[in-house]
Amino acid sequence: MRYTSFILALLSLVAGAAEHWSYQPIAKPVGNIDQFIREKTKLSPKADDATLRRRLSYDLTGLPPTNEKPLPLADYVDQLLASPRFGEKWARHWLDVARYAESNGRESNLTYPHAWRYRDYVIDAFNGSIPYDRFITEQIAGDLLPAKDDGERARLMIATGFLALGAKGLNEMNKEQFAADLADEQLDSVSRCILASSIACARCHDHKTDPFTMEDYYALVGIFKSTDTSFGTWIDSENNNGSHLLRLPGKHLTPNKSLDPKRVDQLKADLAKLNQQDKDLNAYIAKAKDENRDISGEFHKLLTETLRIYWTRGGVEGALETVDDQGNARALCMGVQDKAKPVDSPKYNRGELSQPGEAIPRRFPTSIPPRIPVPATQSGRLQLARWLTKPENPLTARVMVNRIWKQLLGKGLVRTVDDFGSTGEPPSHPELLDYLAQRFINSGWSIKAVIREIVLSDTYQQRSGQPPITDPDNRLFSVAPRRRLDAEAIRDSMLVVSGLLDTSRRPGSLVAALDGQSVSMIDFNTKLPPDLDGSHYRSVYLPVIRDHLPDVLEQFDVANPNLVTGERDSTNVPLQALYLLNGPFVLSASKALAKRAGSPEMAFKLCFQRPMDDKEHQLSRAFFSDTQTPPDQLLTAYCQALLASAEFRLLN
Amino acid sequence: MNRRHALTTVSSGIGWLAFSALASANGLQSKISHHAARARRVIFLTMRGGPSHVDLLDFKPELIRRDGQTTTLGRDSAGAKLFGPVHPMAHYGKSGLRLSTLLPQIGRHADDLCVINSMQTDLPNHAQAFGQMHTGSFQFVRPSLGAWTLYGLGTENTDLPGFITLNPPADNGGAQNYGSAFLPAICQGTRIGGAQLPELYAALLKRDVAPGPPMKNIENKDVPRALQRKQIDLIRALNEHQLAKNGPNSEIEGAIESFELAFKMQAEVPEVLDLRGESEATLKLYGIGQGKDQFARQCLLARRLVEAGVRFIEIASPGHWDHHNRLREQLATNCASIDKPIGALLSDLKSRGLLKDTLVIWAGEFGRTPYAQSGDGRDHNHKGYSIWMAGGGVKGGINYGSTDDLGYKAVDDVMHIHDWHATILHLLGLDHRKLTYNYGGRDFRLTNVSGEVATKILA
Repeated sequence: MRYTSFILALLSLVAGAAEHWSYQPIAKPVGNIDQFIREKTKLSPKADDATLRRRLSYDLTGLPPTNEKPLPLADYVDQLLASPRFGEKWARHWLDVARYAESNGRESNLTYPHAWRYRDYVIDAFNGSIPYDRFITEQIAGDLLPAKDDGERARLMIATGFLALGAKGLNEMNKEQFAADLADEQLDSVSRCILASSIACARCHDHKTDPFTMEDYYALVGIFKSTDTSFGTWIDSENNNGSHLLRLPGKHLTPNKSLDPKRVDQLKADLAKLNQQDKDLNAYIAKAKDENRDISGEFHKLLTETLRIYWTRGGVEGALETVDDQGNARALCMGVQDKAKPVDSPKYNRGELSQPGEAIPRRFPTSIPPRIPVPATQSGRLQLARWLTKPENPLTARVMVNRIWKQLLGKGLVRTVDDFGSTGEPPSHPELLDYLAQRFINSGWSIKAVIREIVLSDTYQQRSGQPPITDPDNRLFSVAPRRRLDAEAIRDSMLVVSGLLDTSRRPGSLVAALDGQSVSMIDFNTKLPPDLDGSHYRSVYLPVIRDHLPDVLEQFDVANPNLVTGERDSTNVPLQALYLLNGPFVLSASKALAKRAGSPEMAFKLCFQRPMDDKEHQLSRAFFSDTQTPPDQLLTAYCQALLASAEFRLLN
Repeated sequence: MNRRHALTTVSSGIGWLAFSALASANGLQSKISHHAARARRVIFLTMRGGPSHVDLLDFKPELIRRDGQTTTLGRDSAGAKLFGPVHPMAHYGKSGLRLSTLLPQIGRHADDLCVINSMQTDLPNHAQAFGQMHTGSFQFVRPSLGAWTLYGLGTENTDLPGFITLNPPADNGGAQNYGSAFLPAICQGTRIGGAQLPELYAALLKRDVAPGPPMKNIENKDVPRALQRKQIDLIRALNEHQLAKNGPNSEIEGAIESFELAFKMQAEVPEVLDLRGESEATLKLYGIGQGKDQFARQCLLARRLVEAGVRFIEIASPGHWDHHNRLREQLATNCASIDKPIGALLSDLKSRGLLKDTLVIWAGEFGRTPYAQSGDGRDHNHKGYSIWMAGGGVKGGINYGSTDDLGYKAVDDVMHIHDWHATILHLLGLDHRKLTYNYGGRDFRLTNVSGEVATKILA
């Protein structure tokens, strides 16, 4: 099997790029999940009920099961899908794919204090069962959709934050280069995230292995160059590319920083003064020019003064934009709007701005149906969303059902979940992939319907364990995978068992409350917990600062928010053990668990949702035979050992 | 009783015995190799992005002569212009090895360098080539070179991870490049270091930029050491009970080992990572305390880790070498950032007698084209490129293999990634055909089904 797929992949490199499997129309195979799987392997027996319920609870909500009266399995699935915890779990997966972060990263790592609104939008979209085609459309062109009221208008504006959240070269001095790189980042994220394709590779040359030409690339780039992106970092010594934010209509919870009214007045006075100084300086230079007077001797002084005004004014303007006249924080969001006048992008020879060629009219790659024209008067984002979400598009539905399958079965049907191009792997079960894609489209693009169908299959419900010798890589899904919980689920589980979890939504984010915008100052902010945690909200609400992630996320392989990530790493290293042994969060959860449980038996039950067996009783007794350690401390140490044991973070 | 002594004393309890037993079961105790080893450990300096071999290591008079002429070598059918080296190259050492004048400190060790001019990899894409350089495969998740080394040779210091990677790049496959794939989890690289404080703020607040890479969670003020030992014994017992009940599970086996190692690291790591004990002369040699010195610190740390018995250490260069444009300026900047620290590392290893059995590798995932891209840069080139190795049983002061007259394609003594991996393993005393791991019924190798040892470079 392994060799077959390898040869297939090689053949696809050799064969014409457009003949590649993923660009072919989605077939309409007849059958069901288990039939397609059973055509290639024998399934393992069904997992026992407790294991299955734990698996379902983690897979659908990211939390351990509660000990309520057990419902029939199908009803249990529906209960989990209807829980608000579902959105918090599945939004996190989308946020990985959408390279969501609350700071810019790269050389100028400035915070995005309003990015959290997009996070909440995604959670609400999953909980509110927004159809996937609509979900995509909102994120790419929400600003161009009709809205019935202010609330809906605001929601659609926030959705477009998807296009504004990427990492940017903020210290780029050439504005044209910055705009080109921004459009490139947006196009790259859209194509990787939704199509699992690397269209952006065609920036400098026709794609080497996939059917995308430079014309395709620049035709799409025109769409983003006709779009105005609001990302809200202001100009300072680290940042040469300031940007506004969008003001939300209506009333909104706004936990971002407010200012004292006196401070507002001061800022306004500062701004007036800086504007005056700027004017004076310009007048001085103009006058010297008029008088033909040589001021080159003053160059250094003038430059210093110009930069001082430029950088200081950026901060003052930026601060004033975030508050009203009384100093109350304004409700703002990141996002995009159409520019007044759409433009076509030139095709730049080898991607170089110094070598513009003919303008390429905005359109979509011809190798992927459907054909949708872009009107001259619009950016084309709305049409882009339509092109992506028409059932004829062979990639969108396949990519998303594959992402869902990967989350539930450990590996994708296409293992390279973010690469459906020729350098990716072909599907192990092409018919099943197409079957699921058709079911997805026919269900009205319902993510919950696809999840429900998968988790109710025998394939999902089989026992976990070692794959048989006939399927050593478990490519054929002969057993359920054994997985380690995600970073978020590990932390959330500790909060659940210790009784600390606050299931309410964190208002905003730790980042929203920060002073200033530079991430490099975070280490010196003594008000912040050093592990950037310290709250008891669910982990999806932890701050996501590029290159500066909270400890628990970093140690347990959270997605790198600089990249589109459909599959996280799963490492197993001593640094994780050090976190579990010495991390302040784990120590405090252990104390809370000891206090809540009161006994080793109860602590064990809380952690593993089952009573101890004989051997575990024996180990427990041996641990508590220590008479020198105070009993409280001993129980806390015992609780920590349970939290650190493998069973706590493994899913069978 | 000092901290370290206390920790090591406590650590010789039941847990330690269990770990020793496990270590031998999994083969992490120092093992006897297939043949006499020339290198006992590796320092892998990764030049991510693809440094330009025709500017740095592969001298081509013909390319200089034809500078500016149109060629049809590239994928642009209209033709691209040949582009001679953007900085001069000079002879170094008694051997007269030709290297870029941008690398004077490394050049001082020319007589120890084995420059391989005939490297080849399969694809000119960063992610795939970076993965292939590390794992041999551009398509599948496979164990990394460091993991295979550790698997083959075991560790010399059970108090530290045997494979450490310092501030590795997160892209181009991320953790897969130091992963263990199907090999035991204990073989994977332990990543040390994250963001350091910017110099400006560190100076302002009179704080150290980083006393060695930061290491979190290495201390515990709440749980006394003896109690923590008991905790770890309990965790181990619970985990082993799970294994007995539910059958083999590499995640649990890895966890058992990583807790033992973590416990012992608490004693060892703070000392190894603390560079403050180094002499003024040493710090100066590496350029530590002189401006941007993160890479210098990493190089010094590599020497300390080598001394402490770490088997495989990987460092990524501070900048990337993907010079599609402004090659002249960018190449100078990159070389300036690595030349002194690497020169110092070679001197330091040599003066301590460590270079003879430490293999130092300098390599990017591919090279660059002899023709220009965007006028002043170069495109990716996987058909022929250069790397160098030093110490650990390679011949010094030589060029091995060659590319065509323009430096485009390897033609003599071609060294494919598989051949290169085979040669590295050979130097470590391992036969790449015998270093196998049975996974799912098939014996896997780092070199898949190919690989020839380049015997001409063996000292």
